[in-house]
Amino acid sequence: MTTTSTFKSEADRPAARRSWLSRWSDPDDTTLAVMLLTPAAILLGVMIVYPVSRLIYTSFLDLSLTSGLPARFAGLANFRQMPDDPVFWQATWNTVLITLITVPGSLLVGFALALLANLPFHMKWPVRLSLLIPWALPLSFAGLIFGWFFHSEYGVVNDVLNRIGLPGVIWFNSPRLAFAAICLAIIWKASSFMAMIILAGLQTIPRSLYEAADVDGAGRVRQFFEITLPLLKPTIVVALIFRTITALQTFDIPYMMTGGGPGTETATLAMYIHQNTVSFLDLGYGSALAVVMFGLSMLVTALYLRMIRGSGAAS
Amino acid sequence: MISGRISRMAGLLLGCAAFVFATGASAETNLKVFVTSQGQPAIWRTLLDQYEARNPGIKVSIELGGTTSDMQAQYLNTVLTAKDSSLDVLMLDVIRPAQFAAAGWTSPIASDMSSYLRAYAEANTVDGKVVALPAFADSMFLYYRKDLLDKYGLQPPKTWDELADAAKKVADGEKNPNLQGLSFQGKAIEGAVCTFLVPYWSQGKVVTKDGKLDFDREAATKSLALWKGFADSGIAKKNIAEVATDDTRKEFQAGNVLFAVNWGYAWAMSQGAESPVAGKVGVARLPAIKGGEQATCLGGWEWGVSAFSRNQDEAKKLVAYLSSPEVSKYMAINGSLLPTYGNLYKDADVTKAVPWFADAQSIVETAKPRPVTPRYNEVSEAIRTTVNAVLAGATTPADGAAQIEARLKRIIR
Repeated sequence: MTTTSTFKSEADRPAARRSWLSRWSDPDDTTLAVMLLTPAAILLGVMIVYPVSRLIYTSFLDLSLTSGLPARFAGLANFRQMPDDPVFWQATWNTVLITLITVPGSLLVGFALALLANLPFHMKWPVRLSLLIPWALPLSFAGLIFGWFFHSEYGVVNDVLNRIGLPGVIWFNSPRLAFAAICLAIIWKASSFMAMIILAGLQTIPRSLYEAADVDGAGRVRQFFEITLPLLKPTIVVALIFRTITALQTFDIPYMMTGGGPGTETATLAMYIHQNTVSFLDLGYGSALAVVMFGLSMLVTALYLRMIRGSGAAS
Repeated sequence: MISGRISRMAGLLLGCAAFVFATGASAETNLKVFVTSQGQPAIWRTLLDQYEARNPGIKVSIELGGTTSDMQAQYLNTVLTAKDSSLDVLMLDVIRPAQFAAAGWTSPIASDMSSYLRAYAEANTVDGKVVALPAFADSMFLYYRKDLLDKYGLQPPKTWDELADAAKKVADGEKNPNLQGLSFQGKAIEGAVCTFLVPYWSQGKVVTKDGKLDFDREAATKSLALWKGFADSGIAKKNIAEVATDDTRKEFQAGNVLFAVNWGYAWAMSQGAESPVAGKVGVARLPAIKGGEQATCLGGWEWGVSAFSRNQDEAKKLVAYLSSPEVSKYMAINGSLLPTYGNLYKDADVTKAVPWFADAQSIVETAKPRPVTPRYNEVSEAIRTTVNAVLAGATTPADGAAQIEARLKRIIR
């Protein structure tokens, strides 16, 4: 013990002798590393580590503000409640379904839009701007707008149907139609984000590759599958990670369009978490549900990361 | 020299401090009042202007948020969970004072409740403590087009069957595709809880007895089937699952509805200068299920003082004023909000402005309160989403009743 401490203090001495100012202005490597990492570590701690640990801690508590009782440790009671909760299953299933439909949906539409926008236009800005607008619109506005589109009496969708001689549909009376309308709104909203990321990726592909392919006699389709797609793969994976995680957290659009209706047929997990915490004030159960959603997001992210690493090793 | 400077500095500082404190004491108190947007905020504003004029140094501002009772509750829940002191006085739906008191969000108020209508004295007293004071009374009524009923020689219906017959007769005679027979609330909002409960209660059933669940699935099925029947037979419109309280009010006011289930506030607007139905509206007790009693849902809003307000005394003084007989009368005449004092229902000035208030007291006094439990929000959500699902055709009345029962069993044990 003594030896170590003597050794340490001796080793530190030259640094300690240097003036305070020079230590800060000309730090050694370790100090510099600590100095540079501290802000990020503090930010991460305050913004992510603390809230997430607090969330996990709360998920083990029996904490409901309506009971007037103080928080009590409840073990896994909140988690054990889930299997018997029909709304939990419905909301989770809807969330998974929205993810499975809207992620590929927005990828396909976004890809098509990006390819269109990447064509050699003379006036690029109107194309780029129209790509940006859906993305720039707040999610809840998009939900509100589509809610009105599909309103059975005042909506433009039924108006168009009537004009071409078809009867109007009460979209939000049917769980399936309401769900389809929600997915459509999400795909519209999310495609522009996908398109922008893919467009950025497209522009990093050197022209010379296509020129070489032309010389070798490869057609447009072959070029797309042999050059564009492989080179875009990392970009697509990144876009998919972002899109999948936001899809798992879907809240605003169904909340504004149907409020989860009819009944709870179109409720998502995020809406159910919001309802349990903000409306029912059952912070324990709400936190437990949020832990499940957190786990789901982590799982999906891990799968994607593995995909990237796998592809990195292969190439 | 040095000590002289210090003492001079200290003097200056003290002087500054004294100035700050003095202005702090004489500065005006700003009170922020949360008012429901369906509760005639513009007319409350005129009363607050008078209050400010009478109480120099007090400024009161109104805050609005959310278009339905449940949206407003969500907003207040977030503000009060955060122990935010920005709101001093809260206008609360009659179902909330008990919950808010249980959560410790409102301050008890010392007040004699004996002069108020009994239902409101009860709704605002929790464990012997007054937790809020009544703002206005309310219950659901049957609004009808007097001119159309007169034209076909009909009386306001006493049962839902009579209502259906009357609606058919008028529809056959008028041949107006835009005229709905009946409008009520089918959207998954707080009002849909009353939609379910009115015919349920009419069969003599209750939801809770002595704090325990006492649910009658058969009566529930009948209630849900009644409303679904109105939509299926074309008396109510097919998209009734999209209709919220103010949609009913607007469509009735536009002259497109024969019968409407709505709260008291709809009257004042239907009698406005621009209203095509002014002078053609009658108000009656809601009909009964055949063989049952005529039942209705107790409404009304209350004034609570936020436990986190930094102006407790001033806030309580304001609340005492806002729930006084003087204010209740003013709001009855100018906003058609039902009085919280029994004697005002027969007041000559009040009945001159709103003639049907003369008959409304007995309706309000026999109106039934929604189940009282701190977990009311969960009860409400179980009922209103099911009403919505049944009306949308996503669930049958029998399955809906079973779902309500299953969900209530998990909440009220």
